[in-house]
Amino acid sequence: MERKTFRGGAHPPERKDRTSELPIEYVRSVKQVVVPVNQHFGPPIQPLVKVGDSVKRGQKIADAEGRMTVPVHAPISGVVKKIEPRLQPNNAEGPAIVIEPDGSDVVDFLPVLDAFSCTKDQALARIREAGIVGMGGAGFPAHVKLAPPPNKPIDVVIANAAECEPYLTIDERLLAERPGDVVDGMAILLKTLGVAKGVIGLEANKEHLVPLLSETIAERRREGQEISVIVLETKYPQGGEKMLITAITGKEVPSGGLPMDVGCVVQNVGTLAAVADAFNKGQPLIERGFTVTGGACKTPKNLVVPIGTLVSDLVPDTIQVDDENLARVVAGGPMMGPAVPSYAFPIQKNTSGVLLMDKAEARYFQEQPCIRCGRCMRACSCRLSPALLNEALNAGDLDAAEAIGVLDCIECGTCSFVCPSRIQLVQRFRIGKQLLRAKKQKEAQRAR
Amino acid sequence: MPANSLLLSSSPHVYSGVTTRRLMLSVIIALLPATVFGVVLYGLPALGVILTSVAASVLSEAGFRALLKRDIRIGDLSAVVTGLLLALIIPPSTPLWMVALGAVFAIVVAKEFFGGLGANPFNPALVGRAIMIMSFPAALTTWHSPFAPIADAYTTATPLNLLKMGQSLTDVASTVGASTPAGLYWNLLIGTRAGSIGESSVILLLAGAAFLLIMGVIAWVTPVFMLGSIALFSWILGVDPLVAVISGGAVLGAFFMATDYASTPMTPKGKAIFGIGAGLVTVLIRQFGGFPEGVTYGILIMNAFAPFLNKLRVPKYGFVKPAKPAKEGSR
Repeated sequence: MERKTFRGGAHPPERKDRTSELPIEYVRSVKQVVVPVNQHFGPPIQPLVKVGDSVKRGQKIADAEGRMTVPVHAPISGVVKKIEPRLQPNNAEGPAIVIEPDGSDVVDFLPVLDAFSCTKDQALARIREAGIVGMGGAGFPAHVKLAPPPNKPIDVVIANAAECEPYLTIDERLLAERPGDVVDGMAILLKTLGVAKGVIGLEANKEHLVPLLSETIAERRREGQEISVIVLETKYPQGGEKMLITAITGKEVPSGGLPMDVGCVVQNVGTLAAVADAFNKGQPLIERGFTVTGGACKTPKNLVVPIGTLVSDLVPDTIQVDDENLARVVAGGPMMGPAVPSYAFPIQKNTSGVLLMDKAEARYFQEQPCIRCGRCMRACSCRLSPALLNEALNAGDLDAAEAIGVLDCIECGTCSFVCPSRIQLVQRFRIGKQLLRAKKQKEAQRAR
Repeated sequence: MPANSLLLSSSPHVYSGVTTRRLMLSVIIALLPATVFGVVLYGLPALGVILTSVAASVLSEAGFRALLKRDIRIGDLSAVVTGLLLALIIPPSTPLWMVALGAVFAIVVAKEFFGGLGANPFNPALVGRAIMIMSFPAALTTWHSPFAPIADAYTTATPLNLLKMGQSLTDVASTVGASTPAGLYWNLLIGTRAGSIGESSVILLLAGAAFLLIMGVIAWVTPVFMLGSIALFSWILGVDPLVAVISGGAVLGAFFMATDYASTPMTPKGKAIFGIGAGLVTVLIRQFGGFPEGVTYGILIMNAFAPFLNKLRVPKYGFVKPAKPAKEGSR
């Protein structure tokens, strides 16, 4: 059977076998949490607590007005010890609330809410109040995706279970262990949006989960909803939002547009489970799962920990590190995750993995001259011309870079992966995008 | 925890195993059957030409870059490819000093003057041959029958020479020991005919090309369009299209020269137009030019258009035609 997919892409080594069979381990007690205040894509929010305050598990501790904001909740019950700038997995410092446990474990969840009898506004408010952001990586506020303007009708909700990043297996485990919550989350989103069709898209390397998912869907069947599972080719970046939409619907998200422009809403399966928890248990997003693995990780695992848990606090009781051979630490997957200066960083709402790469994995290459082989152009899932883009940016020609489409680059890193000369293509495009945006801003100011 | 020994690079953190060196090695492997066959056809003189050309290419690249105090890149094997290709497109009887001169010119003038690997606008091996043909026209158009000792007394003509002189297919067939045009086809495919060292055996060249296509080293677009264009325009001008494709340097040029990375377009549309153009120029030179063969110039002339053909990009993902600009003051 020919599997659906998109044009371009590459096949990085999967390296998922060390963790794909391991059940999720739940870590409940930690010695502290360092909760970054801003974990969403949007304007900053403010802490609602002061140093010395006692907080309950699930209590809201940071929030602000504004459509694109998402609150943050206390992942454990305890005392606020500090509010200070801390290193986040994106390598920037941001305000963080440090909470130490008091051993009480008092819970302050939201009331349980039935998504199928409440109003749309109530449902959207619940998703926001529960602090839910896209857990696949970008941290986009979930409620914003669910409230498209009236001129953008949605006809399908897509659950992103592709998990195309090498090494990561947390989404796979979530589907295997909590399929009911994923399907419930999908049903809630379908109800909230008033959409009939839901699709769970996963890569062929997870095809063994299809019977379980189909069974779960059949058990929880609801009138007027049609949820299906689609198996896609195992190919990076199949889990990129645009590539997933194209593989499943055949449509392309217009340049500069959003999935809603082609009638789609895409949510990561972790986000769906979080939505189910927010309604069925009243539990805000205070914990998340991630995969910890890599050559320098002696104990590869799928873990669920309270948000804000420092990876270094899990060492050595939960995670054992081969410090001698540790050469690179990545927050997320190896294709898009940023390398961080140490593993003393907090797990955020959008942290899907922690890679402890050893010296053999974490190689670093000198750039060689471009031989113009065109591999990057065949691999680019956005059909850009990375080699020509690289030339334009090296020449400082931002206009040419824009014409080739640097702003359409989804920064998946496939071009750099395939380049036989190890040219830092996507790395340069990230800078190019910033330069181009800065230039446009300047021009806009001058025009005013 | 080792705080300062961690690598902090931007993602991605994994790389494919494909390297420039591996790509060049694939090309060398793909050329080996035709190279060995060349030595079988013409013996030691052919081997001498090949070794001289490769050695001169590698040494001149290393020497020139050392002179300029730049990094020596001969490890990427691109100079070996250039040297090998140059040897395969010249006659086996070419004096070795001419071969060395051509190779040095190809590497230093056509490649390194422009910045080295990946920066050369023209195919270095073809530039080397073009210079040699202009400088030593007699030596570069002296052909020998296969399996015969190479001495001036035994010079002959290539099938293309004969066709250009107006001979019929049957006449040409008789010169290669075949009695019918079908025999000529077979002969050309096998490659037991007079010609450059590595251009004659179409079957062995196609085997190498198939290897490169399967390995994803080259794309099919340029060779298919170039050979198609040679066949079409030859047929229009009344030449047997199959003979046009399988004689001369058409197959070697289409699969191994017109697919050169640096000097040809990277976009699919650009590749197609490049192929058509190179085929057309080849046929025009064969029919109306001063030389019996035109592949060299067909490709070199199209090389000049490559930067422009690169502008024919595939529309990007989600491309929307820009709307007409809003009228001033409407906002």
